[in-house]
Amino acid sequence: MAAVAAIYNQLRFLNTDVLAISTDSVYSHKVFTEVSPSASQVTFPLLSDRTHKISKAYRVLNEKTGSTFRATIIIDPEGMIVTKFVNPLEVGRNVYEILRIIQGIQYSRRTGEGVPANWVPGQSGIIRDPKYVGRI
Amino acid sequence: MDEDCVQLFCAQTTDIAPLFVAEAYDNVEKKIKEIHLESYRGKWVILFFYASDFTFV
Repeated sequence: MAAVAAIYNQLRFLNTDVLAISTDSVYSHKVFTEVSPSASQVTFPLLSDRTHKISKAYRVLNEKTGSTFRATIIIDPEGMIVTKFVNPLEVGRNVYEILRIIQGIQYSRRTGEGVPANWVPGQSGIIRDPKYVGRI
Repeated sequence: MDEDCVQLFCAQTTDIAPLFVAEAYDNVEKKIKEIHLESYRGKWVILFFYASDFTFV
């Protein structure tokens, strides 16, 4: 969880908040922040989904284990899901990709440009104009 | 809460995010509180689902 805490300030700067959710109890969350060096750095809320209502609603519950998949869901300011991706059970997330996606969506909405593969902030996007078709 | 949704890929890109209220532990205020997704309207929100406390994410 330290990986997410490390980019949290940058996310806040982008008008973005983080809600971390697992099926653990809030009591487990409390002890987690008290004893784990990585969780102690967390300043966003840790939500408890003991009833599985949230993870079922978002279709990210692992029925075999009663825990959630490594799902990352981004919701825009109007309340619409803009992306949902699920990492493998074995491989943790790349938090810099989450940051890049937020930066990319905001850039695209601000400029109307497309955001191509491997785009990073500071680069230009792709202008949507039929005259460029077949030229890129 | 959209529990009646039967499509395999619902709660996907361009869908309305299902609203929820949940108990949460706030490590800044050191207290348990309620989080309403609805109150985050106007902000971008990352729902960061993870399998379990004490594991990597």
